[in-house]
Amino acid sequence: MKVFFELGWFFKERKKQYFMGISLLIIVAILQLVPPKIIGVVVDEIGAGNLTGGSLVKWLSVLAASALIMYVIRYYWRIMIYGSSMTLAKKLRADLFRHFTSMAPSFYQKRRIGDLMAHATNDVSAVQQTAGNGVLTLVDSITTGGFVILAMAITIDWKLTLIALIPMPFMALSTNYYGKLLHKHFHHAQAAFSDLNDKTQESITGIKVMKTFGQDKEDIEDFKRLSDDVVQKNIRVAKVDSLFDPTISLVVGISFFLTIVFGAKFVVAGDMTLGDLVAFTSYLGLLVWPLLAFGLLFNIMERGSASYDRIRNLLAEKMDIQDKEDALAIRPQGNLAFNIQSFTFPGEETPSLKNIQFILKRGETLGVVGKTGAGKTAILKLLMREFDGYDGNIIYGGHAIGDYETLKLREAIGYVPQEHFLFSASIYQNIAFTNPEATEEEVINAAQIAQIHDDILHFTKGYNTIVGERGVSLSGGQKQRISIARALLMKPEMLILDDSLSAVDAKTEEAILAALKGARTDATTIITSHRLSALIHAHLIIVLHEGTIVEKGTHDVLMALRGRYFEMYQLQQLEQLVERGGEPS
Amino acid sequence: MNEDQKITLTGKDQWQVLKRLLIYLKPHKKSISIALLLLIITVLGDIFGPLLIKMFMDDYLTPRHFPTNPLIILGVTYIGIQILNAIISYLQMLRFHVLALKVIQQLRIDVYTKVHKLGLRYFDRTPAGSIVSRVTNDTEAIMEMFVSVLIGFVQSGFLIIGVYIAMFTLNWKLAIATMILLPLLYWIIYAYRKYSAVYYMDMREQLSQLNAKLAESLSGMSIVQAFRQEKRFRDEFDDINEKHYKAVMSSIKLDGLLLRPVIDLVYALGVILLLSFFGITSFNDPIEIGVIYAFITYINRFFEPINQVMQRLSLFQQAIVSASRVFTLLDDHELDPRQMEDTTVKMADGRIEFRDVTFSYDGKTDVLKNISFNVNPGETVALVGHTGSGKSSIINLLMRFYEFEKGDILIDGQSIKNYPKQTLREQMGLVLQDPFLFYGTIESNIRLFNEELPDEDVRAAAEFVQADKFIEQMPKGYKHQVTERGSTFSSGQRQLIAFARTVAANPKILVLDEATATIDTETEVAIQASLDKMRQGRTTIAIAHRLSTIQDAEQILVLHHGEIVEQGTHQELLAKNGLYHKMYQLQNGLVQEVE
Repeated sequence: MKVFFELGWFFKERKKQYFMGISLLIIVAILQLVPPKIIGVVVDEIGAGNLTGGSLVKWLSVLAASALIMYVIRYYWRIMIYGSSMTLAKKLRADLFRHFTSMAPSFYQKRRIGDLMAHATNDVSAVQQTAGNGVLTLVDSITTGGFVILAMAITIDWKLTLIALIPMPFMALSTNYYGKLLHKHFHHAQAAFSDLNDKTQESITGIKVMKTFGQDKEDIEDFKRLSDDVVQKNIRVAKVDSLFDPTISLVVGISFFLTIVFGAKFVVAGDMTLGDLVAFTSYLGLLVWPLLAFGLLFNIMERGSASYDRIRNLLAEKMDIQDKEDALAIRPQGNLAFNIQSFTFPGEETPSLKNIQFILKRGETLGVVGKTGAGKTAILKLLMREFDGYDGNIIYGGHAIGDYETLKLREAIGYVPQEHFLFSASIYQNIAFTNPEATEEEVINAAQIAQIHDDILHFTKGYNTIVGERGVSLSGGQKQRISIARALLMKPEMLILDDSLSAVDAKTEEAILAALKGARTDATTIITSHRLSALIHAHLIIVLHEGTIVEKGTHDVLMALRGRYFEMYQLQQLEQLVERGGEPS
Repeated sequence: MNEDQKITLTGKDQWQVLKRLLIYLKPHKKSISIALLLLIITVLGDIFGPLLIKMFMDDYLTPRHFPTNPLIILGVTYIGIQILNAIISYLQMLRFHVLALKVIQQLRIDVYTKVHKLGLRYFDRTPAGSIVSRVTNDTEAIMEMFVSVLIGFVQSGFLIIGVYIAMFTLNWKLAIATMILLPLLYWIIYAYRKYSAVYYMDMREQLSQLNAKLAESLSGMSIVQAFRQEKRFRDEFDDINEKHYKAVMSSIKLDGLLLRPVIDLVYALGVILLLSFFGITSFNDPIEIGVIYAFITYINRFFEPINQVMQRLSLFQQAIVSASRVFTLLDDHELDPRQMEDTTVKMADGRIEFRDVTFSYDGKTDVLKNISFNVNPGETVALVGHTGSGKSSIINLLMRFYEFEKGDILIDGQSIKNYPKQTLREQMGLVLQDPFLFYGTIESNIRLFNEELPDEDVRAAAEFVQADKFIEQMPKGYKHQVTERGSTFSSGQRQLIAFARTVAANPKILVLDEATATIDTETEVAIQASLDKMRQGRTTIAIAHRLSTIQDAEQILVLHHGEIVEQGTHQELLAKNGLYHKMYQLQNGLVQEVE
């Protein structure tokens, strides 16, 4: 019941609909009593031989009218109650999505996307079930059950009602018991099914090994064994599941029997009429559903409550990065002074960055070099304010980056990530990501600088080609170049290329860098790269190793050092030679 | 997103799929007959109960005539029928259930067997997840349909027939009159199916849009935030959320119009029909109250199964789509390369010859161009080259993972296509770059389903590759649990277990795809030593990423763009000062000025 109180705010919000819906349900519960009563009355009049055409027409009209009214009401309560539960689902989903968009990367590091998806789908639907079917079963089992029993007791005979109800608790008890048993067996069956699923997954992933060792027959045997287990476990479920209907009909049958035997006695004694007896049996039929619904209700509430708790916990997660109260609402511009003594990612023990200091003047290019895990991306993440909580400061345009509104800070930065993620939309929409109203000229201009324009024209649908997960598959280099165009379109104050030229060949890389230089005279650029050829013209190159700067300077300075940078550069030259098959270019 | 590809099936297609599904019932004829017989008995029980009460009402209660014995017999019979009916209907339901489970099991095994027959090409173009779905989830959906829709149909069919027979014997005129309910019900079911198919499709489509948007936004959230597009994404999500809501509301409205409420309305119509018939007849003739009772009860019974089946009609649609996907897989022609099953061909020495082999995966670009080379029995040939140079393709062809058309591969002078599959699998051992371990124990991973292999051989194989030391240090030794993919072992340990697996199979030809993963030096030494031992007495083809491991190979082939560009021993190739030489320098980190 707890969950109904927890959802109280929603019921209050939709009180009109719920009030209407529940009222309609109650009206239906009352109207349902009409047909059995009319059957009883007509039967009595037929039995007594005093049925007239007029009264028949009257009774049948009442019956027809009540049936029609019930049809209309049943349609509307569904819309009221189920419809409201759908608005709850819609609202929860929108809330969750809103929440997701405002959570920082640290939130996503802790959770798997699959789990977040599950909250927004399964949990939402369990809560929606509670607000829909849960309310329905609660109201329906109380009202229908109550009214039917009242009708039987008051309009017919309370003694017979008591007698007829004797077997009913057995039904509630046994179905409740079956339910628990079923739950247990169902759990086992699910586990067996999941084993089968895992086995299939494993064999298909390891299909090459299977084929190598020619183990198909044995593997199929193993599959048969597991699928046999699934069958056996499911037979146990079926054994319990098949108990429900026979038990219900047996209990109802006995109840009928008692009704007829004792009812006959009362009829003979003149306490009731034969028509009453027929009507009584019809009422009895109406009682089956409310009794079953009670068991069902418990189940729905339990699931809904657990799911709602999960959703609330998720929504209660606080944002890590928040703007200061008097944050600057200006787009930063100017020199960048980076001065970090130490930074450790939340949840990790060793610092990822130590003693990183550099100054980058407006319009200059910074190159960052280092192996995976050397700290390149960590620097960028701090710069974009995905994480706070470091020793030191980052001053951009005369203010610490934390003093700006995060939105304004990010407005200045055009970021091209390592993993080039494109959305399922047209290439045009992907490039015009920051400004869907961008002119064609702007989009094409960005594409041209990123050296992807010609590629795009080669696609049959040109800029309208759909890409992303559900679109055509592009090569890694094409995706990277579209990502670059996307960042360029926003004309950023600072462009960050996070190893985003790794999949394009050397010539294209050169062309992109040259075009960038031409188009972005005043703007600052940060390039991280494995490939040093991309950094030759940078004003400053920092070489990172295990989170700290080991070499610093221009290309020429670093080459003259004959250290780490020099070694890397030589090896890369050799590597390129090998890639070309040993021919010098 | 293979699975979400919309499958549009015409009514005729649906019928075809259903018919093909029903073929799976054939082996269970006997079981079905028994179940049907039981079903008929329960229907009879359902029919007779009300008849007995009718008898009681008309013959005894109305005339107020209560002889003891006949009434006791009547009562006992009634209770007896109720109890028997409960038992029989339990047995009947259980039997149908088990039947459905067995049918699905067969279908599952068929699909799984077929999966094993498919060639690697199929696996290349189909995501593993969707193949798994075919085997498990789709078949599960079909079972749902068998259990709740098909069986429900059969039950209601029989019950309706039974009820009509009873009504006809009681009063044939009235029975005929109630016949008008049938076309009405048929029309409702037909209309519901027709419209619900449309609305249901729309709802599912919106739901998949919603989930796709959610999944995509979550995966791309860092981009969305970096480019400050949160608001736009919220708006877009709200838009899809709203569309989904509208689609759901339409289907709620449809359910309200054509599902339970309308069936209840038809029920009321049935009652009105009965009462007016009895009422009008009663103006002239006396009516037995018991008959009215019986008819009213029958009409009640009549509607129960119809309601149940209609609630679950959407499962039917889903199951048909699932079944058509399963059948598409069963009908796929992308099979393993065929072997001439000529059992007389035996592998003696393990001499390998590639003769002018040209190969392409897609039929357009050749990944291997006129490859020819010879490997003498017991010798080792190493393949080196950059990614995409064609090394792996050579192995793929040798292992018969893919069919080739141009040129030939000979083993001991015989075309590889002439060997029975079994011989090839037994005599050629492939060790993969990423050693794949299966869920089970270390022992089961070494024997890999070969139950006849004695325990000593398993141990001997492990000792041979020097894996025994670390295995015996495990708490349970050879019975130590291997979890999914062997994630609790280091990559070196996994590699050693995979070696032992190959040694246990004792192949004549060894095919090695050397690991690129960085392994700690200690294990690397162990692995290298094991590899050397394994190669003794076996013809070996090895893909080498680390040139240091193949210096003693009798022959090294340097591949570039699908062609052999250099060929010779380590020393010869170094002397050539060509591509191999450069690769060697690169790997040894020999830094020198490069012009």
